[in-house]
Amino acid sequence: MSDDNKSKTPDALLAALRRIVGVATEPRVTRDDVNQAMIRHWCDAMEDHNPVYTDPAFAAESVHGGIVAPPAMLDTWSMPGLAPRPRQESSSGEEAGMVPVLNQLDAAGFTSVVAAGMSHEYHRYLKPGDRLTISQVITSVSDEKQTALGVGHFFTTESNFADQQGNSVGRMEFSILKFKPGTGTVNMDASALEGLEKMPRPRPAISRDTKFFWDGVDQGELRIQKCNSCDGLHHPPVVRCPGCGSYELGYLVSQGRGTVYSFVEVHHPQFPMFDYPLVGVLVELEEGTRIISNLVGVKPEDVETGMPVELAIEATDPGLSLPLFRRARPARRESTLLFADLEPGQELPPCPVAISRTLIVAGAMASRDFQDVHHDPDLAKKRGSPDTFMNIMTTSGLTNRYVTDWAGPEVIFRKLSLRLGVPNFPGDTLTYTGQVQSTALRDGKGVVELLVTGTNKLGDHVTATVELELPTP
Amino acid sequence: MSMSFAGQTAVVGIGATEFSKNSGRSTLRLAVECCEAAIADAGLLPEQIDGMVGFTVEENHEIDVARSLGIKELTHFSRIHHSGGAACGTLHQAAMAVHTGACKYALVYRAFNERSETRFGAGVQGLDNAPTPIMVDFGWCLPFGLLTPASWVAMFATRYMHQYGATSEDFGRISVADRRHAATNPEAFFYQQAITLEDHQASRWIVKPLHLLDCCQESDGGQALLVTTLERARDLPNEPVVIASAAQGSADDQQMMKSYYRDDITGIPEMGLCARQLWNDTGLGPDDMQAAIIYDHFTPLVLPQLEEFGFCAVGEAKDFIKDGNLELGGRLPMNTNGGQLGEAYIHGMNGVAEAVRLVRGTSVNQVPDVSNVLVTGGTAVPTSAAILSRAG
Repeated sequence: MSDDNKSKTPDALLAALRRIVGVATEPRVTRDDVNQAMIRHWCDAMEDHNPVYTDPAFAAESVHGGIVAPPAMLDTWSMPGLAPRPRQESSSGEEAGMVPVLNQLDAAGFTSVVAAGMSHEYHRYLKPGDRLTISQVITSVSDEKQTALGVGHFFTTESNFADQQGNSVGRMEFSILKFKPGTGTVNMDASALEGLEKMPRPRPAISRDTKFFWDGVDQGELRIQKCNSCDGLHHPPVVRCPGCGSYELGYLVSQGRGTVYSFVEVHHPQFPMFDYPLVGVLVELEEGTRIISNLVGVKPEDVETGMPVELAIEATDPGLSLPLFRRARPARRESTLLFADLEPGQELPPCPVAISRTLIVAGAMASRDFQDVHHDPDLAKKRGSPDTFMNIMTTSGLTNRYVTDWAGPEVIFRKLSLRLGVPNFPGDTLTYTGQVQSTALRDGKGVVELLVTGTNKLGDHVTATVELELPTP
Repeated sequence: MSMSFAGQTAVVGIGATEFSKNSGRSTLRLAVECCEAAIADAGLLPEQIDGMVGFTVEENHEIDVARSLGIKELTHFSRIHHSGGAACGTLHQAAMAVHTGACKYALVYRAFNERSETRFGAGVQGLDNAPTPIMVDFGWCLPFGLLTPASWVAMFATRYMHQYGATSEDFGRISVADRRHAATNPEAFFYQQAITLEDHQASRWIVKPLHLLDCCQESDGGQALLVTTLERARDLPNEPVVIASAAQGSADDQQMMKSYYRDDITGIPEMGLCARQLWNDTGLGPDDMQAAIIYDHFTPLVLPQLEEFGFCAVGEAKDFIKDGNLELGGRLPMNTNGGQLGEAYIHGMNGVAEAVRLVRGTSVNQVPDVSNVLVTGGTAVPTSAAILSRAG
């Protein structure tokens, strides 16, 4: 901590903040009922295809008896939207809740904000038509802390959600850091973001015979040369079909699915335009040809011959798109696991998530989070971040998706608790892994606890514990 | 395919510069020095040389080398493609030329400063992306960071390991054997520097699964050979080393260093094609070879070469090696000069010269009773191979 008294948070401010601790806000009714449109936006953004959220027929036959909202949306229903921060006060008119804390810290120069963690408890799944009431209380405000991001204060809130009958449907603890931009111990300018600003990769030389391939890549397609006469596939392209002699050569658009046929891990020599260790891979495409590429978002030690991969056409630097591959997203389980299927130590299959700008923005909008750091790169830089980054609710949604895709559509979430580490910046790949921590029968219910981790190339982005209820015979 | 010049031509002279990390002189100077030595070894004079055969990638033109050497008239000159794959292809070309009478004495050479000037292993870079065929071909790998021969060869190695259960130790045994042979060869880079399998395993990664000690050292140096007809050879001072056969091979769906699209990528069918020609031309077989010079720029591709020539069954080279067959005193002493891993990397031409010494009986690691030596050219490219034999 600084010795310079002038830079310290004034005692008066800290005292004012701490007066808000423990004062509950007057219950506020959320702006909208739980509704199918917002659920659909959320599922689109998260690419969550669980039919209990969007397919009325499937949902009616399910354990829920009808459409439900993804549990991780809990706090989305109470978000204020793009409107100015609402007033928050207690029933007796005192300042209460998060809004006055945010306002006072903003005024004192602590203008940047990041979520540090959150914990959801779900008492029941929400259904379209539910109208929630939220009451919030600040539970703690920390002393001034020097963090990697900057000098700031952590504070935590507890929110309680009740339905139209006054019954509790859920509870949330939320932990936030408000900090002064530019006071961090890590250099968060653009050059700190490995891989975003670097020398361009070597350009492919393109001849009139290979132009269709690279044009395709620019248009987001992987094109494989196909003989129009005999349907034979050729890669790299030929000018005359060696199978039948035809010069009539076209192409097919690959579905982008394949397996690792062979791979290498480049260590030496290293060049400034690549990230190391670099995995070079020979992918055998389902269509039947092979292609040289890179495997991204997979630790070199986790690469195996035969591993399923999927195409990820990415701009590696401005003006160059390449057909890269990442670990294939595991197939979504269609019938839910049984409690008896699980035992501690069991691993969940790794699952990649491409962190695109679209995902970051769509996830923020779907969770009604209009913080500029999640959609405006220039303002994100002003607030001390090298780029826009994913909001915590999108991380919750993706974690929700990862676990249900593995466990099946009718698994019930009881708790979802996240701690955030390094941010998710555009262009990276978040890879989830998980493990069953414990299984127990409680009141006849099969309760399973998971530890889930999501890592990107900067390190651990999220560490989550998840409590699930699974069907027992 | 039958080679009508089989057994009718001979290597009569060999000559080399020293092999070093920095020759300190031009590659033209290296080429001229090694050629002069080969001509002298053959007991010839430069003005008797009337044919020259080189590598397409050789930067010194025949006419420049000839001018400095005092070679007067050339009635044959030709170049062979595909880098180290040309090693025995040059013998093949020279043998055909002298046998047909296109020339009487063919000088074969390769010289470069591959260590101090242009290193392949430094990675292909800085070339423009003009759509010449070679650059279009590089377009399939350079953007993905596969810029070096090590990275291209490693792709074959991983698949071979996966399919046949070979391990890094199996590759390492080749390196250990080569370095043991180099340790007693004063001309070798690694003279008196034998290694253990533990050294191999502890050496740093270049491109996994290749350790540093799976990769040859890039070298400066030159190596030349002199080829003429067997009839003329008998009038020269050295015992003729007969080119029993030489062959070139390029196989179906052949690509430069990246023939990754064949049904199976664990074999080297272009080397198999060379093997079939050699065995057909000579009537010899694996059991008739007393030693072999197997192209070893990277250890993993030695294994499928042993299989293509039938020294062992497909997928069993690892056991053949583990059983000590490649050691001095073994079934098939290999790379008695130290190979390219131990002596120097001169695009396989120093290996051809070692095969000549083995037949002459002058190797520093001489194998007893040598009648026939197999020597192979570079792998993962269109390649070549030859059998050099004692004159009957």
